[in-house]
Amino acid sequence: MCADDEVSLLVIVVDVNPIWWGQQAQREPEFTLSKCLDAVMVVGNSHMAMARTNKLAVIASHCQDSHFLFPSKSWRGADNGGDDASSSGDGKYELLSVANNLIAEEIRNVMSKSEYKGNSTETLLAGSLAKALCSGQEMKSRILVIKAAEDCARQYMNFMNVIFAAQKQNILIDACVLDSDSGLLQQACDITGGLYLKIPQKVALGQYLLWVFLPDLEQRSQLVLPPPAHVDYRAACFCHRNLIEIGYVCSVCLSIFCNFSPICTTCETAFKIQLPQMVKPKKKKLKQPT
Amino acid sequence: VHFLFSFRAMASLSEEVLLVVKKVRQRKQDGTLYLMAERIAWGPEGKDRFTVSHLYADIRCQKISPDGKAKVQLQLVLHSGESTTFHFANESTALKDREAAKELLQQLLPKFKKKANKELEEKNRMLQEDPVLFQLYKDLVVSQVISAEEFWANRLGGVTNTDPAQYKYKQEVGISGAFLADIRPQTDGCNGLRYNLTADIIESIFRTYPAVKQKYNENVPHNLTEKEFWTRFFQSHYFHRDRINTGTQDIFSECAKQDEKGLKSMVVQGVKNPLVDLLSLEDKTLDEGYGVCGAQPSTSNSNRTVKESSNYAIIKRFNHHSAMVLAAGSRKGETSSTDGNSRDSDFFQPPVKKVKLQEEYEDLQQENRPKTVPLNLKKSDRYAHGPVPLQSQQYTTSQDIINSVNYIQHEMANYKPNLTQVLSSTVATSAISALSPGGVLMQAGAQQAINQMVPSEVQGELKHLYVAAGELLRHFWSCFPVNTPFLEEKVIKMKSNLERFQLTKLRPFQEKIQRQYLSTNLTGHLEEMLQTAYNKFHIWQTRRMMRKT
Repeated sequence: MCADDEVSLLVIVVDVNPIWWGQQAQREPEFTLSKCLDAVMVVGNSHMAMARTNKLAVIASHCQDSHFLFPSKSWRGADNGGDDASSSGDGKYELLSVANNLIAEEIRNVMSKSEYKGNSTETLLAGSLAKALCSGQEMKSRILVIKAAEDCARQYMNFMNVIFAAQKQNILIDACVLDSDSGLLQQACDITGGLYLKIPQKVALGQYLLWVFLPDLEQRSQLVLPPPAHVDYRAACFCHRNLIEIGYVCSVCLSIFCNFSPICTTCETAFKIQLPQMVKPKKKKLKQPT
Repeated sequence: VHFLFSFRAMASLSEEVLLVVKKVRQRKQDGTLYLMAERIAWGPEGKDRFTVSHLYADIRCQKISPDGKAKVQLQLVLHSGESTTFHFANESTALKDREAAKELLQQLLPKFKKKANKELEEKNRMLQEDPVLFQLYKDLVVSQVISAEEFWANRLGGVTNTDPAQYKYKQEVGISGAFLADIRPQTDGCNGLRYNLTADIIESIFRTYPAVKQKYNENVPHNLTEKEFWTRFFQSHYFHRDRINTGTQDIFSECAKQDEKGLKSMVVQGVKNPLVDLLSLEDKTLDEGYGVCGAQPSTSNSNRTVKESSNYAIIKRFNHHSAMVLAAGSRKGETSSTDGNSRDSDFFQPPVKKVKLQEEYEDLQQENRPKTVPLNLKKSDRYAHGPVPLQSQQYTTSQDIINSVNYIQHEMANYKPNLTQVLSSTVATSAISALSPGGVLMQAGAQQAINQMVPSEVQGELKHLYVAAGELLRHFWSCFPVNTPFLEEKVIKMKSNLERFQLTKLRPFQEKIQRQYLSTNLTGHLEEMLQTAYNKFHIWQTRRMMRKT
């Protein structure tokens, strides 16, 4: 086990995209957002129960913003007295029951305020990750992302910046993907040393979370876990957004193209390329008399 | 005349003959010994060629037979271990002859020795410092894949091609500022002090205080023994801290006066540094312990208290000592005439810094950077879009969106965690089996990394093979295009070297791993590289043949 006074923070970022989850509830009623949150609570409780110094944070990643479900503003820390009316009567470790209640309350608030505004149907994952990074500053921390909706191409830059910041701060990013594979999260896990797993059965989310994502980095070295996924690091050409293995790069603005063109369309630099010389047949030179 | 003519045929025209000794036997044959500018040679009587010839550079040392012996001999031992013995057989002059030869050799050998040794030393040093190079040397030269000359051909750029000037300007060792303190007197039990002087300390003293050196030269050994000199030195007030009472009986009192003069001249010279204005500095007295309290300190000795004077003396002595140490350190070569006291303090600055200080700093100057072409990005949003290919997203109508949002809001409005019903056991079991070895999520792990399957010593050997092959291939490919006869020879030689390498190094390794039942093809790439080289050689060779016909 890790050192006794070392605080270890687990930040769980849950994708609560209402459009995806709404559709999901209709597709597969046995696995809804409620079930997903139950599984999140189980792994969160387990993490806190593993050691007294373990800490938990839960962020809901919405398509409008990101919210801290736990710890929330109404929570005044573990020293909260027993006068809390929400303490459950089943003798549960008080920290766990308080946390669960707070998470439930917050998610109810978040989802009730969901209004469909404009065209944003994408989860603001980059922002949630940024918040997660900020909360894990002074202690050893790691982030677990539970992803539902598809990747958003518009968040690419922010996402990459967040990933590199996490790498610099030695913060692991794990990803548990429910639906479609996410290239961005694959990269995040690869770069920071975390685990990427797309689960075959959504209803078994709780089991996957406990088996694969509950152990921290030191413990994982002792376990047999799914091998790292192969990450596609190919770049996409700027003209068609096709993934290419070999391409052309403008030396001025570094934009990538799949086909050669004498003028870069991004920075309008004209390239002067020397055409191969016509090879003239060599005449035998007579040696000069000395 | 005949002799001279035939002699010219034997030696090259440019070689000067330094000594000729007749009647010298070698291997029971009569002959003549010749000592020339760069080598020693011997030719049998009557013949006009040398049968024995050794360069001085090849000779490690010479040996002579002891004086009492009947046979007067001289033996040359070469670096390679061989030895040649010459017997001086002239009855009357044998000893003289031998001595003459020996003396000449004694003078000549050191001149050539240095060059050869330096090269060997350099080679040894390189091999010791770089284990990869050493391994390469073992693999290629010791097992005779390539010759030592070829191996060292491009590597000794530092030694053989160096300009001798590099060796002259070896950095000199400086003087420790604490050398006097390092002497560390010890009490010897009966009211005396023992000072431990080493040769280094003595040298430091001489270099820093040329005046003391002068005194040493004047007095030792005629007036004083070395021990007496140093005893007096340490007894003198010159050495001790409180130099207020300068005794006149001291031989060192002159030194003290000289130091005073030197210090004054240094102060007068001042510091020629445009950025330092020493004259604007002065002692700021604040309080007891921060400087002298009270009235302005005067410079005349009479107004000082005893304590002030001794402090003043210490500080003065300290400054002088530091200045002398610095002066001695930057003085090139020992010249006792150079008075370390008159130092241009500007000299202490390295020239580059001086130039920089004399010029203005660039960033304080006006901005006149060269004109640059600004980057003109017409479509900068392309960078923001990551390698997420434009897929046709599932089209969701706004109605669908509204429905979904409503649905989820309805669901979550009354959300209560139900943590006892998170999974059923069947679901959990199927997840566990997917995660167990052999399960659907664990398949990729079955493919073991190659470096886990091959033993580490085999990996090590493979690495060595790659390094050696790489070296040979580098030599081979650098021959192209082959446009000089030298390169032609070299490329042919390198090709045979490659073949030899393949035969003596690669094949045994392949056989070995085959015996170990390692089915992985470890040497495929190496073979490919060698085959490419052979193909290139074949093409070159056929072209060459065609050109000749």
